[in-house]
Amino acid sequence: MSRHDQRSTPLRHRPSRAVPALIAGTLLLAAGAALVWLSVTRLVSGSWPTVLQGPSDWLAGLAWNDPAVRQIGIAAVVAGVILLMCAVIPGPYSALTIGDSGTGAGEWAQTVQEQETVMTRRAVAHLAKARCVQIDGVGSASATATTRRVHLNVTTFLHEPGDLRQRITDAVRARLEETGLSPVPQVTATVRSRD
Amino acid sequence: MRQTAGTLNRTWLTILGILCLAAGTALILQASGTLPTLLNTAPAWQSVVTGDLHAFLAPQGVAAVILIIGVIIGVLGLLWIIAQVPRRNPAGAYRLHGDGSRGFTLCDPSVLAAAVEKQINTLPGVVTSAALLRGTAYAPDLTLKVTVNDRADVQDVIHRIQTTTLPELSSALEAPLQSSRLQIDISGRTQSTGTVVHSTGTVVY
Repeated sequence: MSRHDQRSTPLRHRPSRAVPALIAGTLLLAAGAALVWLSVTRLVSGSWPTVLQGPSDWLAGLAWNDPAVRQIGIAAVVAGVILLMCAVIPGPYSALTIGDSGTGAGEWAQTVQEQETVMTRRAVAHLAKARCVQIDGVGSASATATTRRVHLNVTTFLHEPGDLRQRITDAVRARLEETGLSPVPQVTATVRSRD
Repeated sequence: MRQTAGTLNRTWLTILGILCLAAGTALILQASGTLPTLLNTAPAWQSVVTGDLHAFLAPQGVAAVILIIGVIIGVLGLLWIIAQVPRRNPAGAYRLHGDGSRGFTLCDPSVLAAAVEKQINTLPGVVTSAALLRGTAYAPDLTLKVTVNDRADVQDVIHRIQTTTLPELSSALEAPLQSSRLQIDISGRTQSTGTVVHSTGTVVY
């Protein structure tokens, strides 16, 4: 299956909806397998499997105004809305764009027609955490990053953290700025004193 | 660097969603009696299956039709599941010859990718790198994943790649790169080693 005609696709992309696709694909496969099994049993043995007897009797006695029909309709509407939401809601970008500092741009611009430089959200979180743990007073730190925000959970040995939170956010923001992230995500931090 | 089936997934999820939504809405309207009034469908009090269901299912032709429908649905589901596997989708051999009347010159893009990786791995701060070439020899697409340590000067690494690696690759292929996509990753291991400078406590002015 040759997708994209052996061309590269943007590294900064929306989620591929693999989980809902896998669930829907598995349900389709299961439904197909059930139909094949039922029909093959009918063709080989000459009669439909007994497991079909109950549903067929229930269906034969069902009227359109039966509450069960309404419930099936509601379930189908809910499933449809969920599937459409999975398809339509874009989701967050997988990576952040790194801007070009401009140095020497003229030398290589002629050799590349389209340029994209990104850093994954996980990499941004690693970078923020690494810068954070270098700051005096920080015991341990963990970081999470989205395309707009980087949050740090910091544990300190200091009984009075003072301006530690401000120093952390300033240092991490400066590190992200010098990395060239564009735009620079907002940096927030939560500092807890270790008892 | 690997490509996923994002567009395929969105398309099929949309199609299935619309089908489910339409079927569910129709069932609710039919059950409430609105649809029979609007479109003159079967009355709401009438049975869903008007004829003899057992007699309808009795012919072997019905089982054959259901078998075909089942195979189609199952194969579609299986193909959709298989499509979720991320693919590298690399380029085939680059054809560097002209019209081919004087012989053929083929180049495996992985050889060029290995050379690009080797050069990038020598840059300061780079832990590892992976390069993938797509496109053709005359319109190459380069995708790079460069892992640097957490103290590396990222802009410097990018600048060196842009001013040395990319022009050299372009020069080797004698064609400008159609696109260059660079993903910077940070090594998960925090850099704690380096040159240690012992403090003597003496300040020299």
